[in-house]
Amino acid sequence: MPQRPSAPFGKGRNIMKFRTLLASAVALGALAVLPAQALERGGSMTFARYDDSTLIDPVYADRNPDIWMVPNLYDTLLHTGADGKTIEPGLAESHAVAPDGLSITFKLRADAKFSDGTPLTGDDVVFSLDRARDPKLGPWAGLLGAVKTVSADGNVVTLSLAHPDPALISILATFNTAIVSKAAFAAAPGTTDQEKAKALFAKQPVSSGPFVLKERQAGSRMVFERNPYYWQPGEDGKPLPYLDRIEFLLIPDDATRILKLQAGEVDAAEFIPFSRVAELKADPNLDMELFPSTRIIYAPINTRSAFKDGTKNPMADVRVRQALNYATNKDTLVKLVTFGTGQPMTSLMSASTQLHYGDTPLYPYDLEKAKTLLKEAGLAQGTKIKFTTLAGSADDATMFTALQQMWSQAGIDLQVEQVDGPTRSDKNRSGDFQIHTYGWVNDVNDPAQVTGWLGYYPLRQAVGTGWNNPEFNKLYETSNTEIDPKKRADEYKRMQEIYAAEAPLLFLYETPFAVALSKKVHDYVQTPLGANEFATAWREK
Amino acid sequence: MSSLNYLLSRLLQIVPTFLIVMIFIFVLVRLLPGDPALAMADAKATDAQLEIVRQSLGLDKPLPIQFAIFLRHTLSGDLGQSILMKQPVLDVIMSRLPATAFLTIYSVALAMLIAGPLAFVSAIKHDRPADLAIRSIFQVGLSSPVFYVGLVLLTVLAAKLRWFPVGGYGTSFFDRLYHLILPALTVAFYTSAIILRNLRASLIEVLDAEFVQFARAKGLSPRIILTRHVLRNALISTVTLLGLSIGNLMSGTLITETVFAVPGVGRLMLEAIFARDYPLIQGLTLVFCVIVSIVFLLTDMVQTWLDPRLRPR
Repeated sequence: MPQRPSAPFGKGRNIMKFRTLLASAVALGALAVLPAQALERGGSMTFARYDDSTLIDPVYADRNPDIWMVPNLYDTLLHTGADGKTIEPGLAESHAVAPDGLSITFKLRADAKFSDGTPLTGDDVVFSLDRARDPKLGPWAGLLGAVKTVSADGNVVTLSLAHPDPALISILATFNTAIVSKAAFAAAPGTTDQEKAKALFAKQPVSSGPFVLKERQAGSRMVFERNPYYWQPGEDGKPLPYLDRIEFLLIPDDATRILKLQAGEVDAAEFIPFSRVAELKADPNLDMELFPSTRIIYAPINTRSAFKDGTKNPMADVRVRQALNYATNKDTLVKLVTFGTGQPMTSLMSASTQLHYGDTPLYPYDLEKAKTLLKEAGLAQGTKIKFTTLAGSADDATMFTALQQMWSQAGIDLQVEQVDGPTRSDKNRSGDFQIHTYGWVNDVNDPAQVTGWLGYYPLRQAVGTGWNNPEFNKLYETSNTEIDPKKRADEYKRMQEIYAAEAPLLFLYETPFAVALSKKVHDYVQTPLGANEFATAWREK
Repeated sequence: MSSLNYLLSRLLQIVPTFLIVMIFIFVLVRLLPGDPALAMADAKATDAQLEIVRQSLGLDKPLPIQFAIFLRHTLSGDLGQSILMKQPVLDVIMSRLPATAFLTIYSVALAMLIAGPLAFVSAIKHDRPADLAIRSIFQVGLSSPVFYVGLVLLTVLAAKLRWFPVGGYGTSFFDRLYHLILPALTVAFYTSAIILRNLRASLIEVLDAEFVQFARAKGLSPRIILTRHVLRNALISTVTLLGLSIGNLMSGTLITETVFAVPGVGRLMLEAIFARDYPLIQGLTLVFCVIVSIVFLLTDMVQTWLDPRLRPR
């Protein structure tokens, strides 16, 4: 934040002092008179989105604009806390894991109901979880891979497991295990599960979350209304949600979304470009929120001994990868690309992820160290490295320009290759790249997903880098069935240490979710996993 | 040849055009780098999941077979399933087409309303200060990028002065006229510049023509000279120009619809390309092709109506 200019000396200084005193007195008086902001129920808010939802169903949601809306319409057995790290009771008021870790029982709340007023029972939970773990249906079935059977006896639901799975508790707070109504599904038109899901979504589905879908014009708008039967009590003791209605407007253009908010036509706009954050922070009518997120921006480094075209890969040498990390001034990148809103990565996972380890930024800028390491690795001055970036991305362009300049001081000639998103994914999958930009947001409130994605070789060749570390792979496998939380935390600590030392990535930075809201809107939350949560949001009339 | 036969022969000529466009777009879309299965399945999918997606899209089959399937389905009116929207392509396009049609017609009407009177003034005040002023304003229109004009209009007229809404589509007819005025003006800004230039030139030419001088000499009233002789003749080339620029107008909506949050097919095309949604890109191209062909046909018919010399004998 820029410093205020200091007050002049002498007479002027006294006047300033007097004014400050006066202002403080007025402010204190105002505070004494003003009551604390009281919560208001009812009313409607409008929310400008960057992309539209196509099918909000726990099992078929596969894009973020769908996934992040699921918790508003469908409730889960457990909830993820607003900090992204804790697990709270949801539709299940309590749960117990057996000592051998091979079964988990859940006690459902007696007062849980669907939006049509029918009670939510153990049968609905069995139906929903069986649907969620059917690999023929959604892409997320693998999350429940450890589950052998799901059964219900009254309001007690039991999951029997093939092997212990410490991530399961977090998974039962994840969108794809949300509870749908078995009866509504059976009654929906269509023969296949997918047809029924689409038919239900098209026609105001019966749901279990704080809101119901009321209206939808694809590509334009969507309206949620309050579920009058929702169980969770609010701060005033009456059931959530506080809002009667939310209208979502689809405005893909960043500038237009912001203009619409500034013109007072909407109450909130998401995905504010970081370049506009300072300006909106200064707007007295707006609250510019930067929600902590699990979003990390990094650059996978190809670690194979040779590139796809057969030429020798200097980055196969760990010293070169470390040197590239040391030669990168992350603080500068954070300032340039995220306009100071981000923070350098301290581990392979974001600081808001469970079992995150590491409190200092990885590889602080040290040009001399970088030069020494490159010399030790025998890298010739002027070695060319190709950096693949997204065409049209201002962030990537800035990052490339900065890196080119930073790395040239270490004797590396960085060259750019600009491609579009699908091409970049293709190159990543086939290993046909040298180093490229990438990002990640956790879908599950457990470190297993991001760790598997970035480092476990058998899954996706460690995010396509080809990095294959037997100790890391073994630790990952063990940690996936480890039910002793202490041991699991130790395993994660070690994995994060190995990963940091081996540097298969250029560790860049974490960024928050930037949402700008009208001052009238309170308590809207975007969770670290990205979910837009409106259950506790309210709006002054 | 009767008018009906002429119409039928023109319709038949469209068929090979479609076929060529379909082959062209089918090949072109597949030349785009990137895997639609990847775009569909999310980057986090495993290779096995990707293979399932590829099979379900028929992408594992050889190209000629994919094309044969595409052709057979298209001829039976089935444009396939959109990967992105998870709905039949035709349903998706039909739900988005009205917004674009509304915007395009609105823009053309606005462009004519702006360009028509100004072209008259320009033609009558030929090379005098008024003419020069009008021409220079529209030179700006011709050379300004559409997205820039859109953003300027948005910032000034909507955000600062609050005369119009910033974006959106409205619900009733008049609500839409109100909501779409800025995007329509944005598109009209460029179109009116083209119309003005053309109409002004033909008006000057016609006003000087011998038949107009003759009509004046006959003592016909200026109103009759203007509507029966001048306008009718001057409009022929303008109608042709409008018809030919319909493709341009539709591609203009690609950007305008994104900036102004209008749920039309222009924005849909942009989304489809980014998602490598093959069926949707193919379907949209086909629909664009049908629309442009129909507009060309209509243009021809209006031209023949305006100019009897073009009528089939």
